[in-house]
Amino acid sequence: MQLTSQNIITFLLSISLMLFFAKLLGELFNKIGQPAVVGEIVAGIILGPTVFGSLLPYAFNWLFPQNNEVKVALDGIVNLAVILLLLVSGLEVDLSVVMKEGKTAFLTGAMGIIVPFSLGFTAAYFFPNLLGIKDDSMKLAFALFMGIALSISALPVIVKTLMDLGIFKTEIGFIIVAAAMFNDIVGWLIFSVILGMIGVNNHGLNFQQTLIYLIAFTLFVLVIFRKIINKVLPWIQKNLNFPGGVLNFILILGFLSAAFTEYIGVHAIFGSFIMGIAIGDSVHIKEKTKEIIQQFITNIFAPLFFVSIGLTVNFITNFNFLIVAVILIFAFFGKVIGCGIGARFAGLNKNDSLAVGFGMNSRGAMEIILGILAFQYGLIHADVFVALVIMALITSVSSAPFMKYFLKERENLLNILSPNLILFTNFAGKNEVIGELVSLISKNLKLSTEKIYNEVIERENSIPTGIANYLAIPHARVDISKPAVAIALNKEGINFEASDGTLSRIIFLLLTPKNKNELQLKLLVDIVNKFKDKQKVEELLHSLNPADFISKLKQL
Amino acid sequence: MNFPFKKLGLALTFSPTGLALLIEAKRLKELFNSELVLIHSGKKDDEAEKKLYEMINNSGLEKSATEIIWGYGSPASAILKAAESANIDLLIAGALEKEPVLKYYLGSVARKIMREASSSVLILKSPSENASDFKKFCVSTDYSQESEAVIKFTYQFALMEKANEIIVLRDIYTPGLSSAAIESGAPTNSDEVISTYQIEEEEKLNMFVNELNLKGIQVVIKCLYGREGWVEGNFVRKNNIDLFVVNGRAKKFYFLDKLFPNELEFFIKNLPSNLLILR
Repeated sequence: MQLTSQNIITFLLSISLMLFFAKLLGELFNKIGQPAVVGEIVAGIILGPTVFGSLLPYAFNWLFPQNNEVKVALDGIVNLAVILLLLVSGLEVDLSVVMKEGKTAFLTGAMGIIVPFSLGFTAAYFFPNLLGIKDDSMKLAFALFMGIALSISALPVIVKTLMDLGIFKTEIGFIIVAAAMFNDIVGWLIFSVILGMIGVNNHGLNFQQTLIYLIAFTLFVLVIFRKIINKVLPWIQKNLNFPGGVLNFILILGFLSAAFTEYIGVHAIFGSFIMGIAIGDSVHIKEKTKEIIQQFITNIFAPLFFVSIGLTVNFITNFNFLIVAVILIFAFFGKVIGCGIGARFAGLNKNDSLAVGFGMNSRGAMEIILGILAFQYGLIHADVFVALVIMALITSVSSAPFMKYFLKERENLLNILSPNLILFTNFAGKNEVIGELVSLISKNLKLSTEKIYNEVIERENSIPTGIANYLAIPHARVDISKPAVAIALNKEGINFEASDGTLSRIIFLLLTPKNKNELQLKLLVDIVNKFKDKQKVEELLHSLNPADFISKLKQL
Repeated sequence: MNFPFKKLGLALTFSPTGLALLIEAKRLKELFNSELVLIHSGKKDDEAEKKLYEMINNSGLEKSATEIIWGYGSPASAILKAAESANIDLLIAGALEKEPVLKYYLGSVARKIMREASSSVLILKSPSENASDFKKFCVSTDYSQESEAVIKFTYQFALMEKANEIIVLRDIYTPGLSSAAIESGAPTNSDEVISTYQIEEEEKLNMFVNELNLKGIQVVIKCLYGREGWVEGNFVRKNNIDLFVVNGRAKKFYFLDKLFPNELEFFIKNLPSNLLILR
């Protein structure tokens, strides 16, 4: 079979069109703060039988022929895209992070699998009709698949959300990333077992053999081969040109590993994912290398794959409200409750746990890859596939707003300001102004004034807290559970020995919990950063009342 | 972890660096004005005793004022047991710069001590018979109360040594960064994100160090990006640090820790400088 010149023209036109629409909608969705992947899938739905195909069937069939050489060529590219996508997903997984977060990552990740998996499995096993399954012989495999389909998380969407919310670098961000990584490893492993169980493309191996090969392969790559890669990488980076040498190395290993797992009947993607983990775990792999791979996969291969999803089925004729509703409810319920409970067990507070739950709820690309494979293997019908894609889109899109909602209570400077704790004073010395602020704040927090006063003064005496631009921040770590701040705007300047020699007129008394050192530093930095521009600070001095002060401070 | 150490223990062997180690330990004993106990794992016989006393003589230590504990059994376990029963609060040992790969899994004496000692441990990378003061200290922080205590300890030690500087390191790491940077669709790349994070973190680190009020010595802050332990080890190696002080978490090292190294394991595996593990 050879591609004719006409075939090549059609092939090139179709991938150009796919890339064009993917980029267009991807960028558009990014502009409105959504992951590009959502836009790319929507692009596929528009280009596919759902919109373009039903409006202009002739043009659609000419551009995206369903059974000829062009389709084979497109399928080849799409397959390659999925393998590469899983390779980069693996590269981002960091086993040491999972180990470091230990209990929290494990509890959150494990509960994030157990609860949705049980829900999906039970529903599909006992009520297969509800999800459109009529063939009883496939019931177990189908139920296992539904379990895992509800359990998977999508790290790229999750990290993007964390970054947008500005919590990527925080402890909660780290927990979510670690739990998602744990979740992904276990999820893909179980999915591979299911594929082995169905026994499609197993090259004559029975299930036990597949399972043994699978476990041996995973252990070999993650334990032994990982160490070999770590030894070889520095040599490659030193002796071969950058980034060509290392990229070549990564792709060769990824493809070889993918070929092996395809041979044992658990699909090529598992091999590339596991090899990605082994390579990405090396301390020698540069962030730049990962970024270059990400660039060419995210901008070329991933869009082709996501658009191709929309080309596969008609999203209107295969839309079954009941199936979509059941899958959506179980997906949200299972993941948010599961991860939420896990995070709560691990010691996080209620809001943070729910934020972790919604953070982990994004299914994004991973769900779609899982769905399309199950669809191709005949494990699910088009209506379940459509429902899974819709679920992936909705969970990804809703993740950020929900997280934002539950994280809004988190302690930042603007959240802890209260007009009742802002005074306009006229004191001459720092002890007096600190005394007044302490008595106000301790009345509010129902704490012993004397104890707090002594702690603040002791801290003040060790190093004066005058900063610059009229600011002073006397502070202490005391026995409270949440941070508190009281502010005095003093008519005359007071000597807090500020670094710029100015007398302080805006005095923040900051109290933070004893065991939260980093929170104290963060709040101190937040306050100092607000006072960088002297002219603007001078406007603050002219605040008319506490509310006016807060609104001016917010604008700084 | 009270400063200074009251009772030092030196794991002493008849290796070529034995005398140098003894001289280094003597210097520290005098600096801290503490007791020094020698722990030798091996059979007590006339020959061994004679050799030991010869070393003690050569080091300038007083024979009568030096207690020797003889440990039996496998060297590392014997040393650990002796150190514990003698209530030693700093166990000193020497380490070869890099040990053969095979030995790692068999567990060398120094590594076992670093991992399992219940007291603080000082591993001297290349002990010298002309023992000199530690002039350049380095310590890493995660802002926790324990790490605050480690820095205060380092500061007191550095003051006593009349050191030139203490470098306080803070390491940040955000796994999944490259995909987050690209997914965000913003015209940023990982390097830009990392440098923004580093600037933010340096502000915090600066505030943290100011809070500690470390007067009388030059304190330098540095924020690194990368895998915890690995980047710090590299930094220490490149900057010729005399003593790197770390917080040794009270934790047994299991197989999994070796497989997926935590930060301490990176230092143990490839010792970046003299290493003080505070427990």
